[in-house]
Amino acid sequence: MTFGMWDGVFFNLGPIPVDHLIFTEWVLIALIGIIAISATRNMQMVPRGLQNAFEAIIIFTYDFFTQLMDEEHVAKKWAPLLTSFFLFILCSNYSGLIPGAAHIEGFQPPTSNWNVTMTLAIITFFSIHIAGFSEHGAHYLSHFVSPSWAMLPLNLVEEVAHPLSLTVRLFGNIFGEEMVIAFLMFMAPFLVPSAIMGLSLLLGAIQAIVFTILSSSYIAAAAGAGH
Amino acid sequence: MRRNKWFYISALLLSLTFVMGLAALCMASGGELAPPVGQPAGKTPAFGNYFVIGWTAVNFFVLLALMYKFAYGPINNMLEQRTNTIESSLKHAEEVKVEVEQMRKETQANLAESRKEAQEIVGRATKAADDAKNEILARAKEDAANMKSKAEAEIKSATDAAKAELKDTAAALALMAAEKVLGRTITDADHQAMAKQFVNEAGDLLC
Repeated sequence: MTFGMWDGVFFNLGPIPVDHLIFTEWVLIALIGIIAISATRNMQMVPRGLQNAFEAIIIFTYDFFTQLMDEEHVAKKWAPLLTSFFLFILCSNYSGLIPGAAHIEGFQPPTSNWNVTMTLAIITFFSIHIAGFSEHGAHYLSHFVSPSWAMLPLNLVEEVAHPLSLTVRLFGNIFGEEMVIAFLMFMAPFLVPSAIMGLSLLLGAIQAIVFTILSSSYIAAAAGAGH
Repeated sequence: MRRNKWFYISALLLSLTFVMGLAALCMASGGELAPPVGQPAGKTPAFGNYFVIGWTAVNFFVLLALMYKFAYGPINNMLEQRTNTIESSLKHAEEVKVEVEQMRKETQANLAESRKEAQEIVGRATKAADDAKNEILARAKEDAANMKSKAEAEIKSATDAAKAELKDTAAALALMAAEKVLGRTITDADHQAMAKQFVNEAGDLLC
């Protein structure tokens, strides 16, 4: 039984190996970048078409994180990171639905490998503490011994549990979904997997939203008045 | 969002392409799942592949930089610009409203003044017409009075002329009658004296 998609080397860039899923990440980032550039290349006062859609996404995320985080300046500061998380994870999840994913050279859905989800979770982990320190300074450290020194081990476990839960949740869901589709394809190639693929569309979006919302709530908790 | 038939047709075609593509892949692999790319047989993926972690971190920060440069920067600027435009438009609209209100008041004042002037003009015209009427009436009365006095004078002179003629005729008749009674010709001196006497007596009776 394979645990996670194999992260095989696609080609070497000098001494650095480039895996199949890294190449896929490049393609996805290029795709997002091209859409962003073409949407904002010729900005109009009255938005239309792609500019309108892209602006709607950005404004929606700003509003969404402002509501979620309570404090507008924190939301404004961290919304780009969180939106990038969302777009990156959403595109990665959906890339697994394209025929040939994980079976074509240089095309492996990134979020089905736990090294990728772990990297994103580590970025979240550092973002949480950067947000905490930037809002509260050294006083932020006091939350590790809150409400008393006896809680220090539990608080530390909690801090480690955050990125771990993010990693395993995203990886597990996407990998599991891909496995289910693969087995269904094996058993009934026609029509049956399309129902699961329909669910996968929902699942990919939900997992991207869950990862983003949890990250934003952790950041909000660290930057909020509770600490 | 309004969706037309092309939206549904595109969604259907895309779904069909995906399902058929997967099915084709499955068929091509002879009914068996091909192993994922790069997977050596019988081995499981390594946890903590530092190259994948490093590349993913780099890739993600590149994406973040791209988003900052091409999405957040321009969109934030545009939002700010739009906010400024809307604010200035609202301010301008407020100014225009005040200006229009002032113009409306001025127009109303002008209208009231014009009405007043028009009423004055009408008043003046009415007065002038009354004056003209009175003057014409007065002149007509004067003319009528003149005509009346003239007519009376003419009547009087005609009456006098008629009286004088009647007197002469009466004198001549009296002379003729006196000649008949006397049986002789009356001299001028008689004639004159008698006629005068008669006329004076008869005239008082006639007139």
